[in-house]
Amino acid sequence: MLVQEADQILQRALQENGPDTEVAFPNTAYYLPLVFGMTGREVQTLGDLVPVIEDAKRLLRPVPADRRWTPYLGETLDSGIATLLAEETIEAVRFIYGLEPQRVPGLELAGGTAFTSPDANGDGQAAGNGHLNGPIDDIQLRSWGIQLVDGRMPGFAAIVGAAKSNEVAVKIVRELQQRNILTFLAGNVNGRSIIHQLQEEGVEMGYDTYIVPFGLDTISAIYALGFAVRSALTFGGMKGGQAREILHYNKERVFAFVLALGEVDDLKYATAAGAINFGFPVVADTRIPQILPTGVTTYEHVISMPFNEIAAEDDLGRAEKLVQKCIEVRGVKVRVTEVPVPVAYGSAFEGERVRRADMRVEFGGKYSRAFEFLRMVDMDEAEDGKVEVIGPGFDEIEDGGAMDVGIVIEVAGREMQQDFEPVLERQVHYFVNAASGLQHIGQRDIAWIRISKAAAEKGFDLEHFGKILHARFHADFGAIVDKVQVKIYTDPAELEKWLETARDAYDFRNQRLADLTDERVDEFYSCTLCQSFAPNHVCVVSPQRLGLCGAYNWLDCKASYRINPTGPNQPIRKGNLIDAEKGYWEGPNEFVYQHSNQAIEEVTMYSIMENPMTACGCFECIAMVIPEGNGIMVVSREDPSMTPAGMTFSTLAGMAGGGLQSPGIMGHGKFYLLSPKFISADGGFKRVVWMSSFLKESMADELQEVAEREGDPDLIDKIADERDATTVEELLPVLEENEHPALTMPPIF
Amino acid sequence: MTVEIPVEKWPGQVREITLGATADEGGTRSHTVTVGGETTLPFLHFEGEIPHPPVVGIEIASRRPDDWSPLLLETWSDVVDDPAAWAKAAEEAGADILLLTLSLEDSVDDATSAVRQVLEACDLPLIVFGPGQADKDNELIVPVAEEGAGERLVLGVCEEKNYRTIVAAALAHDHLVNSRTPMDVNLAKQLIILIHDMGLPLEQILMDPTTGALGYGIEYGYSVMERLRLAALQGDSMTQQPMLVTPGEEAWKAKEAKVGDDVPAEWGDWGERAINWETLTATSLIQSGADLVVLRHPETVQRVQKTIDALMAEAGEPELVAA
Repeated sequence: MLVQEADQILQRALQENGPDTEVAFPNTAYYLPLVFGMTGREVQTLGDLVPVIEDAKRLLRPVPADRRWTPYLGETLDSGIATLLAEETIEAVRFIYGLEPQRVPGLELAGGTAFTSPDANGDGQAAGNGHLNGPIDDIQLRSWGIQLVDGRMPGFAAIVGAAKSNEVAVKIVRELQQRNILTFLAGNVNGRSIIHQLQEEGVEMGYDTYIVPFGLDTISAIYALGFAVRSALTFGGMKGGQAREILHYNKERVFAFVLALGEVDDLKYATAAGAINFGFPVVADTRIPQILPTGVTTYEHVISMPFNEIAAEDDLGRAEKLVQKCIEVRGVKVRVTEVPVPVAYGSAFEGERVRRADMRVEFGGKYSRAFEFLRMVDMDEAEDGKVEVIGPGFDEIEDGGAMDVGIVIEVAGREMQQDFEPVLERQVHYFVNAASGLQHIGQRDIAWIRISKAAAEKGFDLEHFGKILHARFHADFGAIVDKVQVKIYTDPAELEKWLETARDAYDFRNQRLADLTDERVDEFYSCTLCQSFAPNHVCVVSPQRLGLCGAYNWLDCKASYRINPTGPNQPIRKGNLIDAEKGYWEGPNEFVYQHSNQAIEEVTMYSIMENPMTACGCFECIAMVIPEGNGIMVVSREDPSMTPAGMTFSTLAGMAGGGLQSPGIMGHGKFYLLSPKFISADGGFKRVVWMSSFLKESMADELQEVAEREGDPDLIDKIADERDATTVEELLPVLEENEHPALTMPPIF
Repeated sequence: MTVEIPVEKWPGQVREITLGATADEGGTRSHTVTVGGETTLPFLHFEGEIPHPPVVGIEIASRRPDDWSPLLLETWSDVVDDPAAWAKAAEEAGADILLLTLSLEDSVDDATSAVRQVLEACDLPLIVFGPGQADKDNELIVPVAEEGAGERLVLGVCEEKNYRTIVAAALAHDHLVNSRTPMDVNLAKQLIILIHDMGLPLEQILMDPTTGALGYGIEYGYSVMERLRLAALQGDSMTQQPMLVTPGEEAWKAKEAKVGDDVPAEWGDWGERAINWETLTATSLIQSGADLVVLRHPETVQRVQKTIDALMAEAGEPELVAA
């Protein structure tokens, strides 16, 4: 329909002006950008437009049947592109007749494209007065383009139509401005445009305010897509005619969306179909057919969100939610750079202690209960940035007193997974500790938090926990978290209820971890964080063998890879199994060979005797074979004493570290001791004949479970430590006396 | 007796990268400079190709530097107050390329005009670095990129914490960037990946693994560069960028180069010592794989060029004679 109209307009222009009449958008390169981008045609004259219309006609398809069993978008999309080609043709012709940029009496642009033609500038007035902007000029394209590419500007919004009221129009635009999102305006509903609405409310429009009024009709929305094409040509290194690449570039890198306000007529819908080709989703504030499945766009294609049905107190609240929905559908990431708390904030304060005398109030510890619980919720269930304190504050508590508190963090994100809950929850410790005057110890339901008098005097209050967590989760985990809301419970009944929910979740997670075995996953993760000082070392982290530093388990690595896909934690496909007992797979072997500068050819996951995993130097423990005891000793970093190997931890560290593979000695994480896969190829935990007393004591309960699992409940007591033996001579009699099982096991080598 | 020299057949090759653009290519340089392309470790001519010799650059500044050694300021004398005159002098001193460092005190106009003047005064391809503070770098480098459109400048410094704006400016105006990371193989590689991810072709990225001066951690820098080059030759695509380092800046920070008074007499003549310091730092790094070294003293330039000439003179089949 529009294509026909464009055809007629073009024919008339050809008759009146001749085919050699020049056509161009002022101050822009790339000819007519959309035409150039999609078809490669370099339109310079009216005559050049004829084949463009032919292209458009070919792309037009019969309207698909209303109901199809699977939504089929192909034809809609092609027709969309045809519409865009026609729109750009019409705009180009209008420039010849001086109809573009459109006049709006009384409008003053705060910075805009300068038109050299005096006609266009409205009777010799200064540039930027009395007319709309038309296409964005090249200088501005580059300047904004740089900000879009470097991420300072998250994306652009193309608003088409008119808002319910002037008030709503202003609110929508302000919400976008606040987030640094560039706003393009076009179109009208029954002659009334959002441009009029903003003008009446005295909102400044123009380059300087990031609000660009293109034109009063739907057709002028083409400038937004022209801008998108030019971005790809300028910043993506694309060439004219590389339609697929240009569209893909926009989908992946230009975070734009269309917000249709008011009634959506056929032309708007067709233009929207054009925008979808770019991966730009369309959100309408009226009832229109939705296209929900994902594919061409990252998430949903077309969303209908009838304005009056949005749940909010008033229209302003509805406007806010509408904008939030747009951002969510396009996946625009929010950036929070500052942590809004009344005290100094930074990792320098992490180790700070709050002594009892300096303490205003504490939560948890001996005199009260505190827990923290992070859970994933659906996108609709979380309102980003919302912090609620449910129950009384600590004003009534005397200085140095204690009170119960529960911090419940609800996060939502397209990339969020339930497996990441504990990974994120553990961050609470670091995030809270980084506030000056706060001390955080523990986790889960043994959390213990103190607020100093100084911090309380500066105004630090319960709600600030929420502010900290919101800011930091966005800043550090933005790749997986889109929304964060925090509820702080002090109300006893609510707290009790949530504590129960949290404990159920903790149990569930424990069970999940217990069920997570190396056999059940397809991928392990690498950690090459330490290659700066141990260039040939690669950690292979599996569900049952955490990183040797103890800081990275398999879930941490998985989350870290999501957050930083080019970082030090990369997935390693297990590939073909070579030896299940020793833990050889093709994948880890290849990965380690490549990433150890070809120094390490093979690595076992479960053996200390054969091709053991190398170590950087960060290990929590060192295991070493004691041939005389037919077993191994495990010495922890905390233990300064002499060991039966005749060396202390620090001497041993020189042998175990540096990325060298030495059978018989191995660095590992404390919790690997508890794994059923702990040197399972060599006989498992029963091989431990000597172990630092620090480990025995600090992990007493866990080790007891291991002993029972191994079928020898007294096993831990049978293991010697530095208190009974610091030489092999002393060790053997102890083992014999204790009837240590290693003595009767097959020879370790 | 002749000894057979073992020859390694490397699967990888360092990427060839061209700096600057002539009038035909949309710029104003009289010639371009190409670096990289090696298929072997430095100067093992019997093993592979070394199509381009290492390149020597001279660092100049947009205004009189206040932290440079008096020896340097004396040597260059009056030109340090005038970027155009300095550029000319540096060209005459034998530089293959120039590095213009902008100052924290520069306004946008100061920066663009310094770039314009330097481009007009000399024919060499140009590298432009911001003063090294993220916000200021971005503020200055974006307009500089626009001012130098067409010249295929190298823009810097891209660091992990601040690279997006500079890369975007390079994308917008078709320049190259310098990717700098603090002496770490994996970080070097990661930043190349991140920059490339933004859409900048690998042919427009130089790798700057940073270094320390002789006696101040050069071993560390040397070995990181060596490992990067080994990785490149082993076929790791993201480490195959030619390497740029700034031994001039590093060497002139060292006490041995900077201080003339109150040092042991056996240290010898200050001027000679300082030049030796810079020369040895630069030539060591060239041995570890540097494709581009930026220097500060004109005499060092001569000496380093001489070393490069000698190393590039193909010896043919080496013949070892048993004693």
